[in-house]
Amino acid sequence: MPNVKTEMRVIYLSILVVFAVFLLFPLGTLFVRSFETNQGFGISNYLSILSNKDLIEAFGNSIKISTMTAVITTILAFTLAYAVNCTRIYRPIKTVIKTGIVIPMLLPTITYGFAIMYSFGNQGLLTKIFGRNLFEIYGFNGLLIGYVIYTVPAAFLLLNNSFKYIDKKFIVVSKLMGDGSLRSFMNTIVRPLLGTLGGAFVLSFILSFTDFGIPASVGGTYYVVATQLYQVMLGSIPDFNHGAVIAILMLLPAVFGVLLLNYLEKLNFHYDKFSNIELIQHKFRDICLGVISSVIIVAMLSIFAVMFIAPFLNSFPYDLTFTLKHVMNIFQSSDLTDVYKNSLLVATLTAVLGTLFAYCSAILNARTPLRWKSSIDIISMMTNTVPGMVLGLSYLLLFNGSSLKGTFTIIVLCNIVHFFTTPYLMAKNSLSKMNPSWETTGELLGDSWIRTIYRVILPSSASTVIEMISYYFINSMVTVSGIIFLVTAQTSLVASEIKELQHFAKFNEIFVLSLLIFITNLFIKLLCDYLQKKQLTK
Amino acid sequence: MLKLQNVSKQFDRKVVLDDINIEIKAGEIVSLLGPSGSGKTTLLNIILGLTQLDHGKIIFNDMDMSHVPMKNRGFNIVFQDYALFPHLSAYENIVYGLKNKKGLVSEKELQEYIEFLELKPHLTKKIGELSGGQKQRVALARTLVMKPKILLLDEPLSALDGVIKESIKQRIQSIAREFKLTTIIVTHDPEEALTLSDKILIINQGNISQFGTPQEIINQPQNDFVEEFILKQLQIKRQNIYNLFGEKHA
Ligand SMILES: Nc1ncnc2c1ncn2[C@@H]1O[C@H](COP(=O)(O)OP(=O)(O)OP(=O)(O)O)[C@@H](O)[C@H]1O
Ligand SMILES: [Mg+2]
Repeated sequence: MPNVKTEMRVIYLSILVVFAVFLLFPLGTLFVRSFETNQGFGISNYLSILSNKDLIEAFGNSIKISTMTAVITTILAFTLAYAVNCTRIYRPIKTVIKTGIVIPMLLPTITYGFAIMYSFGNQGLLTKIFGRNLFEIYGFNGLLIGYVIYTVPAAFLLLNNSFKYIDKKFIVVSKLMGDGSLRSFMNTIVRPLLGTLGGAFVLSFILSFTDFGIPASVGGTYYVVATQLYQVMLGSIPDFNHGAVIAILMLLPAVFGVLLLNYLEKLNFHYDKFSNIELIQHKFRDICLGVISSVIIVAMLSIFAVMFIAPFLNSFPYDLTFTLKHVMNIFQSSDLTDVYKNSLLVATLTAVLGTLFAYCSAILNARTPLRWKSSIDIISMMTNTVPGMVLGLSYLLLFNGSSLKGTFTIIVLCNIVHFFTTPYLMAKNSLSKMNPSWETTGELLGDSWIRTIYRVILPSSASTVIEMISYYFINSMVTVSGIIFLVTAQTSLVASEIKELQHFAKFNEIFVLSLLIFITNLFIKLLCDYLQKKQLTK
Repeated sequence: MLKLQNVSKQFDRKVVLDDINIEIKAGEIVSLLGPSGSGKTTLLNIILGLTQLDHGKIIFNDMDMSHVPMKNRGFNIVFQDYALFPHLSAYENIVYGLKNKKGLVSEKELQEYIEFLELKPHLTKKIGELSGGQKQRVALARTLVMKPKILLLDEPLSALDGVIKESIKQRIQSIAREFKLTTIIVTHDPEEALTLSDKILIINQGNISQFGTPQEIINQPQNDFVEEFILKQLQIKRQNIYNLFGEKHA
């Protein structure tokens, strides 16, 4: 590792300042405000929230439905990951699973709700196909479907990654030792994955507990914490102090969840080295899993089918003739095209600045001997913990009187902080694997530290940088919960605009805008994947 | 001439180097020999300027270098794992430093280095496409074109196999002779040290066990450590080889 240089200290300090101003102070403010009352400081806000029957019920609802989501999601995601990694099903099916699963991630969660309504509602696509109402979708059922679709992709990616690190040779060894199917399965698959399975459960729980988009669209009268928080803050009589209390209460399960995740991490097996080996033939297993996993994927994606159909029909579901008029309307409405441009601007700025920020943080931590550098790890754990709604709300409280209010700057900053953890860990992981002597070598060959970063480290991690950009871009395109408290009429984004359009029941516009987000994200994703591949084969 | 005076180093209160005093003449090849954890790499890094020393002085041509930053000392190193930049070709690696120091080496000289290390056929290859010995030579070339005043090598041979090892050994010797370059090599293999260098510095637990020419070490081992660990190893090796060839000729 290189010796400490002034440049490192300067960058390190700047990063700390940003986090102080845009993470610690806002959260501090939130905390203080939750205790602030007309009669000075006290716990009366908490008491009044905890004696409010609606709110208590909402908390109960949130916990109940998030737990159910987590159970279902973990099972589904495990099944899919198992099918992809431990069976010999037809390869294209595996590709379809791996590709199809990421599609929901390219859409805002609020769109899920409308897609569910248009699929299962009274006049929905699937209702028509099946000829009857399958079930009541507003409220519990709709939420559950939405949450599961929202969390399965994340849980699958987590499990799929862990499956790669399972040494499949042990499956063969276990068979040779005479283990029965169940025992073999438990010992060679479930036990090594226990930590990750727990992780998938906790992750799904936190995601559903803190999501705003899904309950905002199909929640109906089934109240959950996120909708209550929105009501209190932006309803007819806003109450910031009560809002702060709810936000703190929303933060608690997240804190608990992240602590649990870190603990579960320790449960994971770490095989020294793992070998790739032919999987044992097993026709019955393969057919079963092939069918089950295809059904899961098709079911998930069929819900979105309506989104691609409805806006191109005259008046779904009554007049099913093709038209482009809804699409044209959007492009002729300067309001909506402006909103789309705003979204593009915010996503691009977030992607570029966020990647720069996360990359610098990772370099300092992974490749310098700075003292206290591990504080960045603690920060990254905090950003992982704080739900978007809580972060956005705390910005609202802290910056309400400042000139940052109602600017794109604050939205971009909120996104950068909100989504910091994943890109930071990507960069840290890749940087710490590189040869530790490169900076010293560069220095001996006449480079300054920054120059070696630019000439050697950056080109060697280009693929990771592309992945970081893609992550930041897509997430700022789809986030609703993070920005819902920060947008104004001038800085409205597509995802928040969809929420507005809901009031006027303009579903065609909602779907066209969702399609726009989808196509933009898909384009960025494919482009980044392509560039990454090019980097890797170079 | 390089002088180390009373050089000491501790890591977290653990003494790693204890009062090292030696003199290395210009153009000499010196091996640092010792068991794992004895402080060889630490000493090399102290000379390089990467690690700060706690006490003592490093004097090069009558200049006190102890507090001169690594970059300004003018020494250079080839790391054990070469630290070549994988996104650049062999040639781009070799001229990497010349981009910063234009005019340090003429085009003709550069070609001479490349020819001398027999790298002509490999210049356009990516680092991943080179064999261990080729990587080693590219790393040597990249360092040599910077015209270092002292060349430091950390276990240059440990990643190479038999035949290549011998050829690189010869090459290091001829570089030192040809460019009159003071060369300091870390190794834990007594045979390597004794056949490669003009002088050997044997370190044990941070102390100098003996500093002398190969003859001196073989003929006048100064203590049990040199006798037990260094010479014993060589004798066993010799015995094994005799046995092998003896059987064959019997
Ligand atoms: N940065 C460091 N911090 C703390 N201790 C260190 C550090 N670097 C080296 N040491 C310790 O100093 C001692 C000498 O290390 P050094 O790397 O110089 O040994 P070495 O002779 O090169 O061994 P090897 O043959 O295994 O490479 C070891 O006990 C090592 O653990
Ligand atoms: Mg060493």
